[in-house]
Amino acid sequence: MNVKRSILLRVRVAFLAASLFAVAILLRIGHIQIADGEKWSAMAEEIDLQYRQVKATRGSIYSDNGSLMATSLPFYRVAFDPSVVEGNVFEEGLDSLSHLLADYFGDRSSQYYKRKLLKARDSKRRYVVINNKRVNYHDKKDMQGWPIFRKGRLKGGAIFEKVDLRFKPFSHLGTRTIGFINENSNGAGLEYSFNHVLAGTDGKALFQKMAGGGWKPLYDGSEVKAVEGMDIETTIDINLQDVAESALLRALKQHDANYGCVVVMEVETGHIKAISNLSKNKQGNYWELYNYAVGQQGLTEPGSTFKLASMIALLEDSQIALMDTIATGTGTFEYYDKKMRDHKRGGYGTITVAEAFSKSSNIGISRLVNQHFGLKPKKFTQYLQQMGLTEPLDFQMKGAGTPYIKSPGDPTWSGVTLPWMSIGYELKLTPLHTLAFYNAVANNGTMVRPLIVKRISKAGTVQDEFRPQVIKESICSPQTLQQVQKLLEKVVQTGTASNIKNADYGIAGKTGTAQKVKAGGGYEKAYYTSFAGYFPADQPKYSCIVIIDKPKGYNQYGSDVAAPVFKEIADNIYSRDADMHKLFTESINREIGVFPVIKSGNLTDLQLICNELGVSNHTSTDAEWVLSKRNYNSVKWVENDVSSLKVPNVLGMTLRDALPILENHGIQVNYSGKGRIIKQSMQYGSNITPGAKINLVLG
Amino acid sequence: MKRGEDVKASKLDWVTILIVATLAIAGWLNIYAVVYDSQVDQNIFDITQNSGKQLLWMGISVIAVSLIMIMDFRFFDSFAYGFYGVVISLLIGVLLLGTVVSGSKSWFEFGFVRFQPAEFAKFATALAIAKFLVKPQIKVDNLKTIAVLAMIVGLPAALIVLQGDTGSALVFGAFVLVLYREGLSPVIVLIGVIAVALFVLTLLFGPTVLIGALILTGVAVFLYWLITRKVTPKRIWTLLFVVLIPTAVILSVNWVVTDLMQPHQQNRVKAFVNPEADPLGYGYNVTQSKIAIGSGGFFGKGFLEGTQTKFDFVPEQSTDFIFCTIGEEHGWLGSFILIALFVTLLLRIVFIAERQKSKFSRVYGYGVAAILFFHFMVNIGMTIGLFPVIGIPLPFFSYGGSSLLAFSVLIFILLKMDAHRMQMLVR
Repeated sequence: MNVKRSILLRVRVAFLAASLFAVAILLRIGHIQIADGEKWSAMAEEIDLQYRQVKATRGSIYSDNGSLMATSLPFYRVAFDPSVVEGNVFEEGLDSLSHLLADYFGDRSSQYYKRKLLKARDSKRRYVVINNKRVNYHDKKDMQGWPIFRKGRLKGGAIFEKVDLRFKPFSHLGTRTIGFINENSNGAGLEYSFNHVLAGTDGKALFQKMAGGGWKPLYDGSEVKAVEGMDIETTIDINLQDVAESALLRALKQHDANYGCVVVMEVETGHIKAISNLSKNKQGNYWELYNYAVGQQGLTEPGSTFKLASMIALLEDSQIALMDTIATGTGTFEYYDKKMRDHKRGGYGTITVAEAFSKSSNIGISRLVNQHFGLKPKKFTQYLQQMGLTEPLDFQMKGAGTPYIKSPGDPTWSGVTLPWMSIGYELKLTPLHTLAFYNAVANNGTMVRPLIVKRISKAGTVQDEFRPQVIKESICSPQTLQQVQKLLEKVVQTGTASNIKNADYGIAGKTGTAQKVKAGGGYEKAYYTSFAGYFPADQPKYSCIVIIDKPKGYNQYGSDVAAPVFKEIADNIYSRDADMHKLFTESINREIGVFPVIKSGNLTDLQLICNELGVSNHTSTDAEWVLSKRNYNSVKWVENDVSSLKVPNVLGMTLRDALPILENHGIQVNYSGKGRIIKQSMQYGSNITPGAKINLVLG
Repeated sequence: MKRGEDVKASKLDWVTILIVATLAIAGWLNIYAVVYDSQVDQNIFDITQNSGKQLLWMGISVIAVSLIMIMDFRFFDSFAYGFYGVVISLLIGVLLLGTVVSGSKSWFEFGFVRFQPAEFAKFATALAIAKFLVKPQIKVDNLKTIAVLAMIVGLPAALIVLQGDTGSALVFGAFVLVLYREGLSPVIVLIGVIAVALFVLTLLFGPTVLIGALILTGVAVFLYWLITRKVTPKRIWTLLFVVLIPTAVILSVNWVVTDLMQPHQQNRVKAFVNPEADPLGYGYNVTQSKIAIGSGGFFGKGFLEGTQTKFDFVPEQSTDFIFCTIGEEHGWLGSFILIALFVTLLLRIVFIAERQKSKFSRVYGYGVAAILFFHFMVNIGMTIGLFPVIGIPLPFFSYGGSSLLAFSVLIFILLKMDAHRMQMLVR
């Protein structure tokens, strides 16, 4: 029975072992679930599960023709988990990987990367950022083929973390207008103003922490899908923006000015085609630092450009005629204790109302307004209100400055308020507001709200459209409008801005030179110069305002500082916009049977041809390029000056001759037809703006 | 009853069948719970999901079991070595022709079906041991017999290690239990247990402390003998033996871990020794598993309500770590019921083994019990951190066709022989 007992014992031992083990398991589970239950549950939530934000892809900002101005691109941060790489793979790939990394990032030596990788592996790190520089998608693809990395995330340890970066294809262009937004949702410009549209809605999803510090999304039905941001289509014309910005920059540098801004607007729609703000930073360079055209800081006393409003009020309310006269005396006039001065030393004397405006006589305008509205200042402000100058523009961008215009009841209203207001002091407007006002004059009296965003779209389909909005149906009567339009044209033709007069198209506008308010009160000897206007004067298409603050040096007036910038921009738009061109032709005197038609060309070529053909010709010049003149029965060559910096005369030339001449002047040539040039779209002798285009008609 | 006649239903051990069926169905439901995604309108029968596949395998297993039931009960006795030979050839074949799945080359692939011969090596080995021990002259107390047995067990185990599936190979260690029942000296078992205990202690406390303690104890004993004048050469030799052998074992631990084990095995050992050291790294599986079980509480979160398991936090969720699902969704109570079922099954099998008339079926029965016990112990043990992570499935419960089929075959061969136990010749 010993054997049987032994067996029984063994069976019992086996039973006992199984049972003991079962009990051990139950105790252990009980311990985990009940004693330590809270700890594990807490850990479950802390370490492993987290609701994390899923960033919505931000919408893009487009220009008027669909060019990208700002967009979010996926970039990657390269990190490495050396612990998952097998020993031989790591050792074999280390050298070449370090080399490739050093080559790619270009900031450190391959030794540096080798040491970094080795150290990370030795210290058993599971996550090490290789370089903080972001890598684009294409390069990321390349990197995935590199040694070690090519083994993938789980065996090669390569970690590519996606980060969306905001990318502006036209880097500096209109940066302040495009704006920015930071993590605290502070910002400026369109990015900030239209953040609610661009941002989309961030999603939420449950994430699981992965070994190595990554997060893996889990889908349990509780997640909120991120809604991608919508795109906004602006009214900005990239080319125009470029022109405006470079013209402004050149002027600012030339005059060492404090800051400047330019806004170009389409008359009919109020679409802002270009908006540039440049200010000098501490290093003396100009950058887009603040949107002076729109923002609160851009709010200033407009100065003489405001005289247009005074003029309208006068014409509306009285029987005053432009040919009436006003005595401006010797250039100083006292209102109570305050002296008003005109720019011209010795004064303008007695001048017509029209002259008071075109010469920008402070005394003339203020006296007229004072005479007329002195007893009923309320009436004057009512006119301002009718002109849409007192109410905020309700512009699409946040942080727009609100106009400050006193009314007679205000405690700060004094006896000198009205005359000073009439010439643009004791009130504040943003450049954009002034422009909207001038635009209304150009737009047959209808004031439209400036627009910078015309459409909101999502994946190419329009979600919302901003149509031109009328603020004031008519700011004044048609008669008044006609009169002030003429006055504005006169400013350029014979007035303060005659320096920007040109032959191709008419500009209407008004200069402004305001004295800057001193910090402690009073005015300093520094100016805020401006020019506001529109063109072509007969059929206005664009309006534009140029502000240059605190120009230094000899020229400090609006006509000398701001107006040329206006002209440069206008010329450029004109030269690019062939719709505006009138083709210039010259009648060709053909003497049939006597001469071959030779109008213009290279002197030696023409002489050769004529001599071969037996055409009598003689020359009075030895210039390379000549024009033909008839001298009885012979041809006389006269010099055709093509070397100056003006648009050359190519009429009558062959295209073969004209092309190099025009292109040497930096003009782009479009042509149609065959034969000699019979029409050229830019008047010869006019100024050449960079990027100009000329249309030639051959026949 | 005539020899070879079909077994009557009444003769079958329905208790075992009931437990096995319960486990299989519960396992199937849990596999569904693991893959369950509330967002998708899922069907438990969906063949593209693990749950659907498992059901298919359950069907295949039922067919296999039916085949076993209509076979001659002596078939297994007669062809025990044949089975063994076939399995050994398959194990060699898989080394040459197999498909690599998660690092181990242990699968044959036929279209979309994968088949793991190692699972079948278990019952074939059990049959071979039984066949070998059946000879009346064999006693498990001489060295030669033990050597042959070690060969029978060691050959498939070694081949499986070569495949890179050390976990499955360790299962063969469970046959020690069978041999113990058949008369293997408890001293050998004890030495094995002590060696394992020393190994674990070394991992936990480091070699210096343990060796120091051993030597100090040895010196103390020696001094005691010196004082009490009981020093004999034999005693000195014994003492030296008792101190030096364990010291050698302890010193070998470092070598075994760093040189013999593969990196992932080293990590599992590290995770076992100190699971908190790197909860997101090599301790990840166990930490996650504990979190899942720990968040279940007493009653659990309810069927399909588990978050930890559902989100695939726990790797190998439907195979090796399936027990977490029970812990999380059904709590301590669910775990208790599952463990009770397993223990009942084990005891029932030992009971069945003991009632066999033939030595062959008895030894085989113990083989079945030993294999099931090892799987049960190690699988659940590792999910709750009692054992290092060894990737073996929970019988009938884990997802996996080969394992389900192999366990079904394993158990039903025993039940078939049990049904015919009265017809067996007592040898």
